[in-house]
Amino acid sequence: GLILLFYLVFYGFLAALFTFTMWVMLQTLSSDIPKYRDRISSPGLMISPKPDTALEFYFNKSDPQSYAEYVSTLRKFLEAYDDSKQSQNINCTPGRIFDQNDVAVKKACRFNLSELGQCSGKEDKTFGYSKGAPCVLVKVNRIIGLKPEGEPRIQCTSKEEGTVEMSYFPADGFIDLMYFPYYGKNLHAHYLQPLVAVQLAINSNSTKEEIAIECKILGSPNLKNEDDRDKFLGRIAFKVQMTE
Amino acid sequence: IQDDHKLSASELEEKYGTSIDKGLSSARAAEILARDGPNALSPPKATPEIVKFLKQLVGGFSILLWIGAVFSWISFGIQFAQGAESPFDNLYLGVVLALVVILTGVFAYYQEAKSTNIMASFSKMIPQQALVIRDAEKKELPADQLVVGDIVEIKGGDRIPADIRLIFTQGCKVDNSSLTGESEPQSRSCEFTHDNPLETKNIAFYSTTCVEGTATGIVINTGDRTIIGRIASLASGVGNEKTPIAIEIEHFVYLVAGVAITVGVVFFIISISLRYKILDSIIFLIGIIVANVPEGLLATVTVSLSLTAKRMAKKNCLVKNLEAVETLGSTSIICSDKTGTLTQNRMTVAHLWFDNQIYSADTSEDQTTQPFDQSSSTWTELSKIVTLCNRAEFRPGQENLPIMKRVVVGDASETALLKFAEVILGDVMNIRARNKKVAEIPFNSTNKFQLSIHETDDPNDKRFLLVMKGAPERILERCSTIMINGKEEALDSEKAEAFQTAYMELGGMGERVLGFCHLYLPESEFPDSYPFDTDSTNFPTSNLCFVGLLSMIDPPRSTVPDAVSKCRSAGIKVIMVTGDHPITAKAIAKSVGIISATSETVEDIAKRLNVPVEQVNRREATAAVVNGMELKDMSLEQLDEILCNHSEIVFARTSPQQKLIIVEGCQRQGAVVAVTGDGVNDSPALKKADIGIAMGIAGSDAAKNAADMVLLDDNFASIVTGVEEGRLIFDNLKKTIAYTLTKNIAELCPFLIYIIASIPMPIGTITILFIDLGTDIIPSVALAYEKAESDIMNRRPRNKRKDRLVNEQLAVYSYLQIGIIQSVGAFITYFTVYAEQGFLPSTLLGVRVNWESNAINDFEDSYGQQWTKYQRLYLQWTGYTAFFVSITIQQVADLIIRKTRRNSIFQQGLFRNKVIWVGIFSQIGIALILSYGLGHVTALNFTPLRFQYWFVAVPFAILIWVYDEVRKLLIRRHPGSWWDKNMYY
Repeated sequence: GLILLFYLVFYGFLAALFTFTMWVMLQTLSSDIPKYRDRISSPGLMISPKPDTALEFYFNKSDPQSYAEYVSTLRKFLEAYDDSKQSQNINCTPGRIFDQNDVAVKKACRFNLSELGQCSGKEDKTFGYSKGAPCVLVKVNRIIGLKPEGEPRIQCTSKEEGTVEMSYFPADGFIDLMYFPYYGKNLHAHYLQPLVAVQLAINSNSTKEEIAIECKILGSPNLKNEDDRDKFLGRIAFKVQMTE
Repeated sequence: IQDDHKLSASELEEKYGTSIDKGLSSARAAEILARDGPNALSPPKATPEIVKFLKQLVGGFSILLWIGAVFSWISFGIQFAQGAESPFDNLYLGVVLALVVILTGVFAYYQEAKSTNIMASFSKMIPQQALVIRDAEKKELPADQLVVGDIVEIKGGDRIPADIRLIFTQGCKVDNSSLTGESEPQSRSCEFTHDNPLETKNIAFYSTTCVEGTATGIVINTGDRTIIGRIASLASGVGNEKTPIAIEIEHFVYLVAGVAITVGVVFFIISISLRYKILDSIIFLIGIIVANVPEGLLATVTVSLSLTAKRMAKKNCLVKNLEAVETLGSTSIICSDKTGTLTQNRMTVAHLWFDNQIYSADTSEDQTTQPFDQSSSTWTELSKIVTLCNRAEFRPGQENLPIMKRVVVGDASETALLKFAEVILGDVMNIRARNKKVAEIPFNSTNKFQLSIHETDDPNDKRFLLVMKGAPERILERCSTIMINGKEEALDSEKAEAFQTAYMELGGMGERVLGFCHLYLPESEFPDSYPFDTDSTNFPTSNLCFVGLLSMIDPPRSTVPDAVSKCRSAGIKVIMVTGDHPITAKAIAKSVGIISATSETVEDIAKRLNVPVEQVNRREATAAVVNGMELKDMSLEQLDEILCNHSEIVFARTSPQQKLIIVEGCQRQGAVVAVTGDGVNDSPALKKADIGIAMGIAGSDAAKNAADMVLLDDNFASIVTGVEEGRLIFDNLKKTIAYTLTKNIAELCPFLIYIIASIPMPIGTITILFIDLGTDIIPSVALAYEKAESDIMNRRPRNKRKDRLVNEQLAVYSYLQIGIIQSVGAFITYFTVYAEQGFLPSTLLGVRVNWESNAINDFEDSYGQQWTKYQRLYLQWTGYTAFFVSITIQQVADLIIRKTRRNSIFQQGLFRNKVIWVGIFSQIGIALILSYGLGHVTALNFTPLRFQYWFVAVPFAILIWVYDEVRKLLIRRHPGSWWDKNMYY
C-alpha cells in the first residue's frame, strides 16, 4: 500500500516536473518562427501528383481510370490556387524579393493559375494524361526566410534522350522571386508557394518504356541541388511509364 | 594396497624380476617404462582452450545478444528480399552485436587466461634426479624414468623419487609431513613393523623427503599408482563448487534477461496489436533487447575482479581463479594450518627460567635485542652454556643478513639457541673460538643430553668448563647444586620443587624445554694437558651445577593475533587444524587468540571445578580442542555438534584426510569455508573447500594445483587482508551494477514511447551501444576503487542465501526511480531539440509512419516549413545525440551517488577516489569526441550538438544527486524503518 502511494507521489512529482519544464521550454519559443533553421538551409523539391508507392507514374492514356487518381490529386492541389481563394492576395512586383519584414500583417502574392498554361487544368481537365502528355507540378519546399539568389528555375531532363519532350509553365520553368521569403504558417496564412508545371510529351515510339526523369532547381547559387546524401535537396527524380 | 613390506628381499627380487646388486637391465627397464608410463603424477585434466573460449561466447548475456544479432540478420534478409532502400542498417547492427559478443568473450577469455598463466609458472618443476642401479652400474637418471623394480639409493636431503621398499638403511629418517601431516621426522629401517603399509617402517613414500641417513630400496610403485598419486587423483574426483560470486552473477543475469525478455515480448505483442508490421515489431524487439542488456557490465565485473586480484597479489594473496576474490570476502569459517601459517615455522626461545624466576623472551620475527633482565650472573653462566654446548653454525657469508634470517646448519632447537645467543651476545662463533672445545659427547636418544668441555677465555682461569644440556629431568638428575644469583646452592627438595613447577608451567605452554648445567673442573685434577676421553668418560658427569631452563616454541607470527581478532570482529570463525600435539596446538591457539583468554574447554572446566570431564555441561565450554583420535571415532552428528556448539575450535593430531571431513562438516553448517594447506594430501580438502588456499613457500605443487589461491608469504594475516578486499569488491560490484542498470531504463523508455506514441525515434540502437560500451565503461570500473563506507571488517560475513549481489531494492531503485528520472531528463532534451527546430511536441505524436517514409519529402513542421526525408533523418540523429548526451550527463550524477549506499557523499569525500574523476572526464570526453569529432561520420548517427543542449539535463542530474542524498539521510536517520527496508540496496 505504502509502496503504491510512494510511487504515486514520486511519479506525480516527476510528471508535474516534466510538464512544468516543457511549459517553460515552450514559453521560450516564438509561435511565428522556429528558433533554429539550420537543419533546412536549402529547400527540397517535391512533385504533385505524388504516386502512393514510389515516385513512379504508370497509366494508360486511353484508360481514364488508370490516371483518375493523379488528376484528382492535381485538381485538389490546385484548389488553393483558384482565383476565388486568392481574393486577399496581392499582385506583387515580379522579379524582386518581396520583403515584408517591417510589416505586421504579411501579404501573400497572387499566383495565377493561368501561368500553368496547359497544365492549369482549365482547358484540359485531364492535365494532358489523356493526350499522352501528362503534367507534373514541381514545387519548392517552404522554408521560412529563404531568399533565393539569382534567377531560379526548374529544369527537367530525361536519362533516355528523345523519349520525351518537356514544356515548362511558366515559360522556361522560372520561379519568380516575388514569392519569397516565406514568413511561416502563423504570419503568412494565405501564402501560396510558386509552382512550375512540366508537361511531358512522351514520344509515341517510347510508350511502354520506363522513362526516368530528374528535375533540378538551377540558376540560384544558394539553392543546392547536388547533395550526396539528400536526393531531394533541390532536385527530384521520378519515373513515368505510359501505355496506350 | 600391496604386501611388499611383508616380503623378504629375495622374494622382492623375484617378484619384480630384479637384482639388488645389479638392478634392472636397461632393456627391461625400458619395457616396464613403456608398460607403466613415466614416474610422474598426471596433471589434472585441463579444459581445452577452445571450449573455454566458446563458453565465454555463450555465457551471460551473450545468448540474448546473439538472438538480437540473428533477428537483425533475419530482418535484413526480409528487407533485402523486398528491395527496401536501406536494408544494410540491420545487417550492420547484427554484425555489431555479434562483434560485441565476440569482443567481450575474447576479453573475458584473455583475463581468465592471464590469471591461469600466473599459476602455470608455479607448476614448472626442476626435473628431479635419482640415483639408480641399472646394468650393475650406478646412474643418475631423471626421476620420471624410474620403473617398478629399480634399485635406488637415497641420502639425507633427497626427495623420495617413488614408493620404495627399503632393503638397506643407515640412520635413515624421513619427513612424512606432506603425507601424514606429522612434522617430526620418522626413522626408517628394513624391518617389517606394521601390517598397514602406511605405518610400517620399511617403506618410504613418493614426494616425502629423506632428512638424514642413507637407504637403498626397490621401487614398488611409480607415478599415479603411488600413495600420493592415489590421493592426488582423489582430489580431482572432488567436484569443484560454483563460487558464490558466480552464483550471484548468474542470478543477476537471469534477472536482467528476465526483464529484457518480458518487456520485449510484451511490447512485441503490443506492437502487433497496434498493427505494426511483423518486421517492424522484430526491429523493436532488437532495440528492446539491446537497451535492456548491459553489454559492458560483465567485462567491467571481470576488470574489477582482476584489479582486486592484482591488489591482493601485492598483499601476497595470489588468486588463481578471479571469482575466488569475492569468495574470500564471503568466507565465514577459516580452517587454518598451524605450522608456518599461524606460526613462524621456526623454533625460537620463548622462556627462560633461572634464579627461580621465569623470564619471557622476545619471539617476534625481527628481534634484534632481548629485553629480559640480564644483570644476574646466573644468566652470564647460562649464556655460556647456551653458546658453547651447541653444534649449530651459521652458513658462512651471511654477515649482512639480519640474524633471524640467516641460514643455520643444525637441528631446530640448536638453531633457536644459536640465534638466541647471537642476538644477545653477538658473534657466537668468535666466543666459541676463544673457548676452545676439547671434548664433546653429541646428543643421542639413550642418554638424552649433550656435553662438551671447553677451555675458558679468562687467561687467569686455567680450569676447564664442562657444559651440558638436555631433557630437564635428566639434567636435574645429574646435578647436586643449583645456581641462584650467581652462587651455587645445594639442590634441596624445595629448590627441586621450584624446578618442577617451572618445568610443568613451561611444558604446559606447549614449549619444548631444555635444561642446562655446568661444572668447572678443578685445575688440580684436570691440568692443561689432561686427555679427555669421551668413550671412557674420564671426567665427572654427575654432581653438576644446575643453571637454568630454556624453553622453545615455534612462535606465532606477530601479525597473526591481530589478524585473528579482525576475523573475530568480522564474524569469521577461525578453526585450527594441525598435526601437532594438542598442548602445543592449544598454547599457540591461545597466544594468537583462536582460543580467547576467557574461554575454557570442557577439560579446563573439569579441572577448575575438580569434577570428571563427563559431568561438565558441554554447552558451557566455548572452546574445544579435539584430538584426531577422538575425531576418528566420531559420527558426523557428533562432529556437527562440536562445530555448532563451540565457537573456538582446535583440531590437533589430525591427519590431512580428516581435514576433508572437517571441511565437509563446516559446509554442512552452511558456511563458506576457506582452507589452508600445503601437503599433497591436503589437496582433497583444498578442492572441497569453497576457497582452497595453498602455501606459496611450503606448499606442494599438488596443493597449489588444487587451491584457488596461493599465499605467497604463507602468512595467515594475508588471508585477512584478502577477506577485506573480497568484501570490498562485493560492495563495489553492487555499486557498479546499480550504476550500470540505471541507464538501461533511459535506453528502454525511448523504444516503448516510440512504439506507443509513434514519435520519431529518440535514440538509436548503435547509440545505445556507445553508452553501454563507451561512456559507461571507465566509470563503472572506477567504482571498484571506491573505499569502504564503514569498517567492513566489523560486520558478519554475508549470508549467501539472503544477501544477494543484486537484490530487489537495488533493481527497483535503479530501474523505477533513478532510471525514470534519467528518462524524463533525456526526453526533455529530446523535445527541446525538436521544438527549437520547428517540431513542437504536439506535432510529433503519431507521425512515425510519415516521418520515416522515404517518399515524403515535403513533411510539414509546426511552422509550415517542409522537410525532406534526409533533413528529418539528420534532425533525428541530432535527437539521438541529444538523448545520448543527456543520459551521459545524468550518468555523471548517477556515478557520484553510487559512491556510497548509506553515507552521504560528503562523508565519503567527493575527491578521495581519484579514479571516479578519471571516469567522469572520460565519460564527458568520449561524448564530446562522438558528437564533435565523429559527428560527421554518417554510420555512427552522431551530429555536432548545439552547446546549450548539454545543459538541459543538468537540473535532472542535480535532482538525482539531491534525491539520493535525501534517501541516504532518511536511511541513516531511520534505520529499520519502511524507508530503510525499501530504499537501501
